[in-house]
Amino acid sequence: MTARTPLSAIALVGPVQLMVGGIIFLPAIYVFWLSLNQSSFGQAASFVGLANYAKVLGDPYFWRALVNTVIVVAVVVHIELLLGLLMALFFASGVPFRPILLAIVLAPYAVSEVSAVVMWRYLFEPDVGMMSQMLSFVGLPPIEWAVKPNHGLFMVSLLSIWLHLPFSFIIIYAARLSIPSDLYEAGAIDGASSWTAFRRITLPLLMPALLIAALFRYIFAFRLFSEVWLMTGGGPARTTEVLAVYLYLEAFRYNAFGSAAATGWLLVLASLLLALFYLRRLYREMFGKHV
Amino acid sequence: MSKSPSLPRLILKLLGVLVIVAWSVLPIALIAMSSFKSDRDIFSLTSRFSFAPTLANYELLWSRWGDFFFGLWNSFIVTVGATVLAVLVSLLAGFAYSRHASKGLQASAFFLIFIRLIPPIVITLPLFPVVNWLGLNDTHLILIVLYATFFVSLGTIVMRTFIDQIPRELDEAAMIDGASQMQIVWRVILPMAAQGMLAVAVFVIVYAWNEFLFAFIFTTTKAKTAPLVISEMIGAVEGVEWGVLFAASTVQLLPVLAFVILMQKHLVAGLTAGAVKG
Repeated sequence: MTARTPLSAIALVGPVQLMVGGIIFLPAIYVFWLSLNQSSFGQAASFVGLANYAKVLGDPYFWRALVNTVIVVAVVVHIELLLGLLMALFFASGVPFRPILLAIVLAPYAVSEVSAVVMWRYLFEPDVGMMSQMLSFVGLPPIEWAVKPNHGLFMVSLLSIWLHLPFSFIIIYAARLSIPSDLYEAGAIDGASSWTAFRRITLPLLMPALLIAALFRYIFAFRLFSEVWLMTGGGPARTTEVLAVYLYLEAFRYNAFGSAAATGWLLVLASLLLALFYLRRLYREMFGKHV
Repeated sequence: MSKSPSLPRLILKLLGVLVIVAWSVLPIALIAMSSFKSDRDIFSLTSRFSFAPTLANYELLWSRWGDFFFGLWNSFIVTVGATVLAVLVSLLAGFAYSRHASKGLQASAFFLIFIRLIPPIVITLPLFPVVNWLGLNDTHLILIVLYATFFVSLGTIVMRTFIDQIPRELDEAAMIDGASQMQIVWRVILPMAAQGMLAVAVFVIVYAWNEFLFAFIFTTTKAKTAPLVISEMIGAVEGVEWGVLFAASTVQLLPVLAFVILMQKHLVAGLTAGAVKG
């Protein structure tokens, strides 16, 4: 590895770096500055230190949004990984019409959040939706997502799992396919049951893929906006807001740019914290063991 | 493990397949099917799967929601623009990261991964006034640039993974023949990296075609995309005109669904290349 970067290489990475730096990185830094100021549209900013953070952290709606976000992320990501793992094992055990079934499993990846909301609202429409009727058939109460906050968050979680399961599944399935089959043959010769084979061979070898899938899904689920906005709008009475919705409302409805910016930076920090372990490992891989 | 599966095992397997199919395609199939139902049949139990198909919802969509077709056109322009931009710059950067190594380049590669941690909604705060000031609000351009930017870091990682597999001897031979860096990318790398470019394109196309947040914040009338129009329909109909909503969702969904199924192989390759490395 050389210390100097050739000019031609700089020119080649230039466009990507400029886009990412100018449109994501600099604005993100600017958000930090905004978070230390009192400002709104067409109004000069004045420095207020950490007052915005204090205001946000003292706002019960922020805490409600934070708790909602953490619950939804925890539920969505873990159920998704479990289902993805089960499906990957199911596929690996041999399924009929594999290519067609794979295409079917990937289908929700193509669906927009907007259309997904239409689909699941139709299925759970009170009294008349197919799922509502099935629920009442087995004696369960209907999902009243527009009225009860917990039901609203349930719908949002269901929707997110449905939309993103293809991603988690593919990551885990690809890792499962790369496990050499002679490991299982060796296990079978040693008389290992399929449960032992799963615990001693499959699970340890899938761990890196599971961790990567979990990490990506934690980070992306944490930004959840559209599903909530389109399903409940954060209501009733601001009970189903998540952090991104809270941020949007602060900025674009209540014109409180300072507290929106503070929320934004808390979001960034949370993402960084979630990914710290991964970033550290990656950094070591890229820059050698001595770091 | 027995060679030929026993009967209970087979039944269990078929049950598994059934559950997977129902979970993945039933919601999609239901709205596609219901878009051909009359209002009377949409919530009727008896006509769930057998009904007299009608095009009434599509006619209504055409006559009353002309905005939607305009939105489709906007989505198309934005998707094509974002895809071309993202794929081209990712190709260039992916080539550089594959063929050159230096401390500075590695730091910049790390930066690309790091940047993926910043949630899109955070940067809308400072961008909104700037975009307004530049007069870029409600234009195709702003969506094209935003969509491309949010996928170039993944795109670059995927491109590098694919270009790593192209033998260096090929570009060295071209260099000896006096080809410039750009000519090497254009004549040697591009034809051989088509697989990777397709993988990147699939990501960007699906994202740009379906994206809601940026379209919601940065467009209002002229550049309004199809998902935004559908979200307005959800708000406007509120449980009344489901049929039109189904028709719009079906039209918005089918092209990209067909595309994903066709490009399945590239999607899987891209997802794994992107997740393993970055």
